[in-house]
Amino acid sequence: MVSATTVKLVISSEVRLVDVVHTASEAIAGIAGFEEDDALNVGIAVREAVINAIRHGNRMDPTRKVEVSLQARPRSIRARVRDQGAGFDPSATPDPTFGDNLMRSSGRGILVMRAFVDSVDFKFLEGRGMEVTLKKNRVRGKTTRSARPSAAAVDNGGIER
Amino acid sequence: MKTTVRTVGQVSVVDLSGKITIGEGDVVLRDKVLELLDGGHSKILLSLEKVSYMDSAGIGELVACFKKAREKGGTVKLLKPSGKVEDLLQLTKLWEVFEIFDEEQPAVASF
Repeated sequence: MVSATTVKLVISSEVRLVDVVHTASEAIAGIAGFEEDDALNVGIAVREAVINAIRHGNRMDPTRKVEVSLQARPRSIRARVRDQGAGFDPSATPDPTFGDNLMRSSGRGILVMRAFVDSVDFKFLEGRGMEVTLKKNRVRGKTTRSARPSAAAVDNGGIER
Repeated sequence: MKTTVRTVGQVSVVDLSGKITIGEGDVVLRDKVLELLDGGHSKILLSLEKVSYMDSAGIGELVACFKKAREKGGTVKLLKPSGKVEDLLQLTKLWEVFEIFDEEQPAVASF
């Protein structure tokens, strides 16, 4: 039984700290066995979640925190990003690829997140802010030599909990 | 992100390297394009060959630069996006908004 490796970060709502989370996300993806390009995809997706949390959740208020949990699992990675904002309805977000929205200078974060990981789930936690959970499975056979999972991990059939 | 500007004919070719991301590359890009437009250089070719990736803020800044140039009677075109940058331009459908070139010579000649 292989246990998950978890890193937790708490940052103030400053855009200069986005790179810190991005770097950590790529590193954890590497530990989970993702190849370089897929690890960058994870980093970019988590980066977008953190930008959303800082800009739209915490309204750039540096006294509000963004909590990030990154978990390397035997065949996948999971990231949770939680802000301290009032929440929003992600389904009400305009399609940035449609009509006049193409020329907007913002509004593409969720599109990028959904493109670069396998699932993106939003949950509003009453009184505690918005939480977005991103998951990406590692494609079978795409394993870096330095982070190859153990036989026990391979034998679990890829089932994640 | 770093920028260097070359003048080829009447076109300002801006060689970008690094990443175009929130709070860093996006600001550098904006400042450089505004500087060129304010200096009367309205034909701008952004060379993306050495840009490793962008985030949504960087993508938004590309659009803002395109709009700003158009307001001032100018044009911003893109040269040699590759890898993640190309993926993002296709994902966001900005591929349909910008004129994008693989080679510098025809790009310069297109202005």
